[in-house]
Amino acid sequence: MNGVPRPARVDARRAGFTVMAMALGFFLAVQAQTERTIESRLQVTSGRLGEVAYRYRQEDQRQERERREIEDLRLEMAEREQQAVGGRRALASLEESLARARMLAGLTPLRGPGVIVTVADSSRPLQRGEDPNLVLIHYSDVHAVVQTLWAAGAEAIAVNDERLVDRTGISCVGTTILCNTRRLAPPYRVTAIGNPDILQGIVLARGGILDELRTFDFPVTVTTGADLRVPAYAGGFEYHYARPVGKGG
Amino acid sequence: MWLPILGLLVGLALGLLVSVQVPLTYVKYSAIAILASVDTIVGGARAQFSGTFDLRVFLSGFVVNTLFAAGLTALGDLLGLDIYLGAVVAFSIRIFNNIGFIRRDLLGFVWRDRPAKAEQA
Repeated sequence: MNGVPRPARVDARRAGFTVMAMALGFFLAVQAQTERTIESRLQVTSGRLGEVAYRYRQEDQRQERERREIEDLRLEMAEREQQAVGGRRALASLEESLARARMLAGLTPLRGPGVIVTVADSSRPLQRGEDPNLVLIHYSDVHAVVQTLWAAGAEAIAVNDERLVDRTGISCVGTTILCNTRRLAPPYRVTAIGNPDILQGIVLARGGILDELRTFDFPVTVTTGADLRVPAYAGGFEYHYARPVGKGG
Repeated sequence: MWLPILGLLVGLALGLLVSVQVPLTYVKYSAIAILASVDTIVGGARAQFSGTFDLRVFLSGFVVNTLFAAGLTALGDLLGLDIYLGAVVAFSIRIFNNIGFIRRDLLGFVWRDRPAKAEQA
């Protein structure tokens, strides 16, 4: 039948067959390509696609579970972080109040404007038979100066670099002054931090302690300073008898 | 005779050139459908050789066999049975049969003078 002229009917047959063959070729090629893609991507033949789909679904579910777990953990983490922040804030405020308490107790070195009052024994020669106490500075004089400064609004006071705190006593030990547990010798330098003008004004007031000391020829100086330093209290605080009211009766 | 082969090659080239892919869900069905069409084409070729080719039978066979094979596979999936294996076996046997006939026809075609002997091969 090849090469021999045929009626139109035969040509139609041949054309139809050719078209179908072409269609088959096309579909074959497409299918082969698809199969090749599947095998190269999934390493399985198309016949096992169902199995792959099953595994995929399982994996998908597992991932979903894990995603949810991650979400939960994130939430928990955020919560913990919030708590940590709260804890840090509480700690910060605690630290702040502790610092304030230490400052109130005099355990913090301080600086600021204020005055320095210096008093010393008088250099006036003693007359015969005169009481030597008249030319000596007594603890009561220093105490009076300190009290005047407190009253004038001093915020921190040190005498010869010994910080005065709540329980500081000033007393007399022979020819020296006992302040806290330290002996102080003249000249006495009282450093007070506060408003310099007010402190100076009040401490030098007519009829005040310095006025009186000057009357008796004691060398007295008052200088103001913009940046004075008062050291921290170095002693201890021991309570053997006193205890807070309320807690634990 | 060379025209259908040429058509097949052109179809193959077209299919390779065009980057169309069968959706993954239908790969199984299209594979069995293609086997059905291979069977139809081979059957058609055999009919061409023996001169009993009928375009209507061929076309209807092509369409119906293809769809039926795909449908059978779908039914198998529905029932959880590998029915498509039956289709594969049936088509394969038919293809082998037809290829055998074609081979004999071709042998007769080459040795035109001795068709009787070729028939017994």
